Amino acid sequence: MSDFEKLGVVIKYEFLKHLRRRRLYIILGIALLVEALALILIPVLRDGYPSDVTLMAGMLTVGPSLAAIGAIFFAGDAIAGEYEGKTGFLLFTNPIKRYVLWTGKYLAGFIAVAALIIFTYIIIAIALLVIYGEVPLAILGSFGLCVLYASATLSITFFFSAVSKGSMGATVMTLLFVWVISGIVESILAFTGNPYWFLISAGGDSIALPYGSLEQFMSGFGMGGHLADVMGNFEPLSIGMAVWGMLIYLVVGFVASIWISNRRQLA
Amino acid sequence: MGDSIIIENLTKYYNDFLALDKLTLRVPEGENIGLLGPNGAGKSTTLKILCALLNPSSGKAYVDGIDILKQPEKALSHIGAIIETPEFYSYLTPEDNLNYFGRLRGMKGEALAKRIKEVIALVKLEKWSKVKIEKFSRGMKQRLALAQSLLHDPPILILDEPGLGLDPRGLVEFREIISDAGKRKTVFFASHQLNEVALICDKVAIINNGQLLAYDSIASLEQKYQSLEQAYLQLTGGNIE
Repeated sequence: MSDFEKLGVVIKYEFLKHLRRRRLYIILGIALLVEALALILIPVLRDGYPSDVTLMAGMLTVGPSLAAIGAIFFAGDAIAGEYEGKTGFLLFTNPIKRYVLWTGKYLAGFIAVAALIIFTYIIIAIALLVIYGEVPLAILGSFGLCVLYASATLSITFFFSAVSKGSMGATVMTLLFVWVISGIVESILAFTGNPYWFLISAGGDSIALPYGSLEQFMSGFGMGGHLADVMGNFEPLSIGMAVWGMLIYLVVGFVASIWISNRRQLA
Repeated sequence: MGDSIIIENLTKYYNDFLALDKLTLRVPEGENIGLLGPNGAGKSTTLKILCALLNPSSGKAYVDGIDILKQPEKALSHIGAIIETPEFYSYLTPEDNLNYFGRLRGMKGEALAKRIKEVIALVKLEKWSKVKIEKFSRGMKQRLALAQSLLHDPPILILDEPGLGLDPRGLVEFREIISDAGKRKTVFFASHQLNEVALICDKVAIINNGQLLAYDSIASLEQKYQSLEQAYLQLTGGNIE
């Protein structure tokens, strides 16, 4: 049996595990709830939907962004859980190379999170079609960036899962890194006029960029004025640089997690 | 017949703690060998190295002549193992878990489905084969672990305290299964339960502090020390769990 065939087996059963767990449906529920709230609250709070379809599309990217964050919950226990839960005593005694195992787990997590993202984008497309009678082509760019962001987040989670003793620790460390630390540093760098494309949170921000720049979104919401002064030094994010940033996290996080996991022993 | 398992000068340190001290042991093909020793003697460490779960600090280990350090996947294909109290994926059923592990071992289709039914029947879990494992007791998980170790009909069984968590009836059934399998396979079996070992194994290796203290037939040890228990007590310094 080739390594490639074994990889297929791992992907199939690891994905089955995701399907059987509640977290997939919880994340899907949260993403849909956020989309529903946006669709309900925006017309209530500002007298109807924005006239520009791309502005509305940009606002609705919050759902897929949350779905992408679901990668953290799919992958937090991917490696650490095998050691913590002692399932590794069964899995690791099978004749399979460890890197094949970790790659299969990564791809199964990716398929699960990609399915969530696809579902949320279908909801967005249907909503835009119903409200505006059109779906901007930029939605494809946003979708691609969202999938890339999820892949990078998955790699970061794999890294923390490889170095953590427990699944909970890996999940919390990743959330802190992606949402808190990266977010704070990004704000500081962005508003002091420094580049911040290399932060993973910038990758998350880039998901809405195919629809327009941050300044366009702010003026679309009537938030020019005083905020324009605050944003005087703001360093705009380019999609190209954000893509590079996410690719670095994707590759380095994944390779590092495999390298560390292959050296980990089950005592 | 050759040796199914060869352990040569196996040494394992956990930081400064010496768990295995140049352990050397050969398990002939087709024999059932018990591995006895107090807690911390190095039994589990030895079995984990044989199952490629741990790397030794030095020394060699071979399974059916295959170097476990150099070709772990090839060596593992000859082994069925229960190490400690293994946990299964609780949100999957026994059938799902066995399908997963069977497929990883190259089994598939009707042959795999048939074999899964056989081993599930062997450990008497037929009624539970489609129930999520999260509802299982420790004893039921141990039965399932035995089923997965036999799934691919390996020539070598490596068992670490496989009777843990089983009720008296389960222990008797387990012993019958292992004894029956042991007629055709090599069994290397670590346990604290001397009576279980005596009923299943022909020979025992007694280790303590990572060193081999005795390796002989049970009959010979009983002749020398009056009983297997006395042999164990005297050789391990009177420390019995």
